[in-house]
Amino acid sequence: MQNTEIPKEKTYRPIPEAGLLGRVITRVGDVFAIAIVLSAMALIYEVAMRYGFNAPTKWAHETVIFLTAITFVYGGLLGAATDKHIRVVLIYDTLSPRLRRVFNVVISMACALASALFSWAGWLVVKRAIWTPAGDFRLETSGSAWDPPTPGLLKLFLLFVLILLCLQFAILAINYAKRK
Amino acid sequence: MIDLLALIPDLKALGIETATLLMFGSLLLLLLTGMPLAFVTLLVALIFALGWFGPGAIPLIVSRIFSFVNSFVFVSVPMFVLMAAILDRSGIARDLFDAMRLVGGRLRGGVAIQTLLVAVVLAAMSGIIGGEVVLLGVIALPQMLRLGYDRKLAIGVCCAGGALGTMIPPSIVLIIYGLTASVSIGDLFSAAFIPGLMLATMYAAYILIRAYTNPDIAPIPDPGEIPRAEKLRLLKGLVLPIMVVIFVLGSIYGGIASVTEASAIGVLGVTLSTMIRREFSLSLVMGAARQTLATVGMIVWIGIGASALVGVFNLMGGIRFVQALITGISDNPMVVILFMMLILFVLGMFLDWVGIALLTMPIFVPIVVNLGFDPIWFGVLFAMNMQVSFLSPPFGPAAFYLKSVAPPDISLGEIFLALLPFIAIQIIAVILLILFPGIAIY
Amino acid sequence: QDYALRFQSSDPAGNPNFELQQAWAERVATLTGGRVTVEMLPVGSIVQHTETQDAVATGIIDGHVTDTSYFTGKDAAFGLIANPVGAYGSPAEMLNFIEYGGGKELMNELLNPYGLQFIGATTPGLEAFISKVPLNGVADLKGLKMRAPEGLVQNVFLAAGAAPVNLPGSEVFTSLDKGVIDAADYTVFSTNHQQGMHDVANHPVYPGFHSMPLVEVSINKGTWDSMPADVQSILEISVRDFARDMTSQLAMRDAVSVAAAIANPDITVHNWSAEERAKFRTIAKSQWVAVAEKSDNAKRVYEVLTAYLTEQGLLAE
Ligand code: NA
Ligand code: NA
Repeated sequence: MQNTEIPKEKTYRPIPEAGLLGRVITRVGDVFAIAIVLSAMALIYEVAMRYGFNAPTKWAHETVIFLTAITFVYGGLLGAATDKHIRVVLIYDTLSPRLRRVFNVVISMACALASALFSWAGWLVVKRAIWTPAGDFRLETSGSAWDPPTPGLLKLFLLFVLILLCLQFAILAINYAKRK
Repeated sequence: MIDLLALIPDLKALGIETATLLMFGSLLLLLLTGMPLAFVTLLVALIFALGWFGPGAIPLIVSRIFSFVNSFVFVSVPMFVLMAAILDRSGIARDLFDAMRLVGGRLRGGVAIQTLLVAVVLAAMSGIIGGEVVLLGVIALPQMLRLGYDRKLAIGVCCAGGALGTMIPPSIVLIIYGLTASVSIGDLFSAAFIPGLMLATMYAAYILIRAYTNPDIAPIPDPGEIPRAEKLRLLKGLVLPIMVVIFVLGSIYGGIASVTEASAIGVLGVTLSTMIRREFSLSLVMGAARQTLATVGMIVWIGIGASALVGVFNLMGGIRFVQALITGISDNPMVVILFMMLILFVLGMFLDWVGIALLTMPIFVPIVVNLGFDPIWFGVLFAMNMQVSFLSPPFGPAAFYLKSVAPPDISLGEIFLALLPFIAIQIIAVILLILFPGIAIY
Repeated sequence: QDYALRFQSSDPAGNPNFELQQAWAERVATLTGGRVTVEMLPVGSIVQHTETQDAVATGIIDGHVTDTSYFTGKDAAFGLIANPVGAYGSPAEMLNFIEYGGGKELMNELLNPYGLQFIGATTPGLEAFISKVPLNGVADLKGLKMRAPEGLVQNVFLAAGAAPVNLPGSEVFTSLDKGVIDAADYTVFSTNHQQGMHDVANHPVYPGFHSMPLVEVSINKGTWDSMPADVQSILEISVRDFARDMTSQLAMRDAVSVAAAIANPDITVHNWSAEERAKFRTIAKSQWVAVAEKSDNAKRVYEVLTAYLTEQGLLAE
C-alpha cells in the first residue's frame, strides 16, 4: 500500500543555479501572491455592492483582470527561477549527469534567446501603447467608463518580465555550465 | 543577431503541408528534450514566425501573450486554485474524506465514486478546467492515496473528473462555440447536460468494474466498530464543505454572482470555514496564495504557448489548409464528421482547447450546417472531443495541471498511463453521441 | 496577382456579419480581375480584436473590418466617432456623414498617423436592447443592472441613471439567464434572437435607441499607398456597396426576427416613443462634450460631427 502525502508547506524556492536574481524574483513573488487575495476580495466586494446595494462598482472587474494578468505573467517568471515549469522528463531522466548538464545549458540558452527576441518585439508593442503617433506620452487605456490605463501598464509589465526572463535563463545557462 | 536570424531557413518555401508536419514534429522533439512545455510551444511559434515571415511577425506572439492573460475568463482559475490551497492547509479536506469514507460504507471504490460526485458538483460551479483539476489534485488525490487506492485509478479520477467542467454547464467551450456558430447558448447548455452526466456515469461504472474485479485497487476501509459518537463527529466533516457548495451554487443559480465571480465566493466560503474551525491565520492565507501564484504560473503559461502557436499557424494560412483538407474528403456526410473528429483528436495531442477552438470552429461550423446536421448536436460533440484533448498525450492539459500539484514521485508518464482507460471511455462517449444524436438533442 | 491581403474581422465565423464580410472579400477579387484577393479571418484568429490596429499598422495583417470603438483606449476620438450615442436615427445618416459630411477625411486624419488607411465604413445598424424587465422609457433605466461594452455607451447609461456592469460578451448569456444583470447591450435584434437571448430576457427594445457602431474597413497605409489609383477606387466603391449590402440584409433579417418575436407569446417587443428617445438623446449629448475634453482629436471629432448634424437638421437645440 502506497502512502503518499503532499508536504503541507510547499512554498516555492529558487533553484541554486538561478542565482541572486532567482532569489529576488522569489522574494518579490509575495507581492503577486497578495494580488491574488486582493482580487478575490475585489470580486466579493463587487458582488456585495451589486446584489446588496444595487450599486455595481466601475472598477472591480477591470482591477481584477489587471491583477490576475500580472499574476499570470509573473508566475511564468517565478516558474523559471524555481524550475517548476512542467517538463517531459521521459528521456531527460535517463541521461548521464554529464549529458544532462549539456541539455540544461542548451535548453536555458534557447529559452534565453527566445525571451530576448520576445523582449525586442515587446518593445515594439509597448512603443505603440505608451506614445501617441505624435510622440506624446499616453498610456493606452481600456476605453471603459472608468478608463484605467491598465492595457498600457500591462504591456509595460509584460516587457519588463520578458527582459527578466531572458536574464534569468541566461544566468541559469551560465551556472549550469559552471557547475560540475 | 542578424546573422543568427539568417540561419533560420525560409520555411515558406516548404509549403503549408510540410510546414505543418514539421511544426508537429518539432513540438514532439523539443518536448522530449525536457524543455519546459510553455517554452516548447513558444519556441516553435517563434521559429515558424521567423522562418515564414521574418522578425516583423514576432510582435504577434507578444500580442497573443498579452491578450491571453488580459481576459476575464481566466480569473476563475486562480480563485479555484486558491480555494484548493486553503482547503489543503486546513483540516477540511481530510475531514471531508473521512466522512465520505463513512458514507461510502462497504461499497468498493466508494471514495473514488464520491470524488467523481465532487467533480460533477465542481463542474456545475465552473466553466473552465484547470482550477478544478488542481482542486481535486490537491484535495482528493492525497486522500485517495492515503486510503490505499490504486495510484492510477486515483490519478485518472482526478483528471477525468476535473475535465468535466467544460462538459457540464456552465461551460466556456460551449459559450465560445455558441458565439462562433451563432446558436443559442441556452440550448447548448441543456443539450450538453445529459451527455456530461452520461460520461460521468461511464467513469463511475468503470471504477466499480475495476474495484470489484480487483479488490486490491480500492480497499474497503475497515470501519471496525466506530462508536456512534465518533460517527457523528466524522459526519460533521461534511457540513462545512456542503455549506460552501450551497454558497457557490446558490450564488450562481440565484443570480447573485456571475460564474467567474462565484469562484471568489467559493474562496470566501472556505476562508469562513477555516475561521469557524479556528484554523484561520494570515500565514495560512499567505501560504495558500503563494502556492496559487506558483501553480497558476505553470498552468497559464502552457495555455499562452499554445495560443501563440495557433496565432502563427493561422497567419501561415492554417485555416485555409484545414479547410482544404476537409472539402472533398467524401460525399458521405458521416465520413466528413468522422474526419473532423480525427482532426480534433490529432490537434488535441498538440494544442490546448483555446487553440483548437480558434482554429477549427470557424471551419467546421459552416460545413456542418451545410451538411444538414444540427449545430447544437455538433457543439456538444465538439465539447465531448475537447474532453479527450484535455487528457491525451503528449499535450494533455489536465495531466499537466495535476502534475503541477501532485506529489513529486508521480511522473507525467505515470499520469498519462493512468489516463489511457479514461481516454478510451471518452472516445466511446464520442462514438455514442455520433450514433445516437438523441442523447444530446432530445 | 498583385495583392494577396489578409483582413481580420471582429465577428466570429458563423455570425451573419462575418458571412457578409466574406462575400465582400470575394467581390473584391472579381472586381479587380483577381489582382487583389482578400482572405477574411474571423475574430481572434491572428490577434485579439482590440489589437488589430497595431497588427495592421505593423503589417502582421493587411487590414481589418472592425468596430472603431475598440480603439477608444488609444484615443478617445475613436470612441466618439465610432459610437456617438444618440446622434443617428438610421444607418443612412451615419453613412452620409462618412461619405459626404467629412467623416472619411476625419477618419484618415485619425488613422493615418497610426499607419492605417480608412477605406470606408459600414454598420450592422441600430442595435437592439435586451432586457428581462419591461423598459418603456428613460425612467425605467433607473438602477437597471445592465451590461454595456467599453466606450461612450457605458458613460451614457451611467448618466441616464442605470448601473452598468462590466462583463465580457461571453458572460452575457449566463448572467442574463441567472439574473445577475437585467439587461444588456449586445448586438442587432436578429442575432440576439438567433443566439437565444430573448429566451432568457424576453422584453427586447426594438428599434434600439442607444447604439449604432461604426464598422471601419481599413488597410495598412504603406500597402494602400503602393496601390494603383484604379485599385484604390475599386476598393473604396466596393466598401460603399458593402455598407448598403450589410445594412439592407441585416435590416431584412431583423424584420423577420421581429415578426417571429412578436408572434411568440413569451416575448414582448417594446418600442420607445419619440419623446422618450429624444430624452435619451439629450442625456447622450451631454456625454459627447465630456468625451470631447479628453483629447484634441476628440474635440475635432466633436466639432465636425456637430457641424454635420446641425447642417442636416438632426441636432435639435
Ligand atoms: Na461547468
Ligand atoms: Na491532449
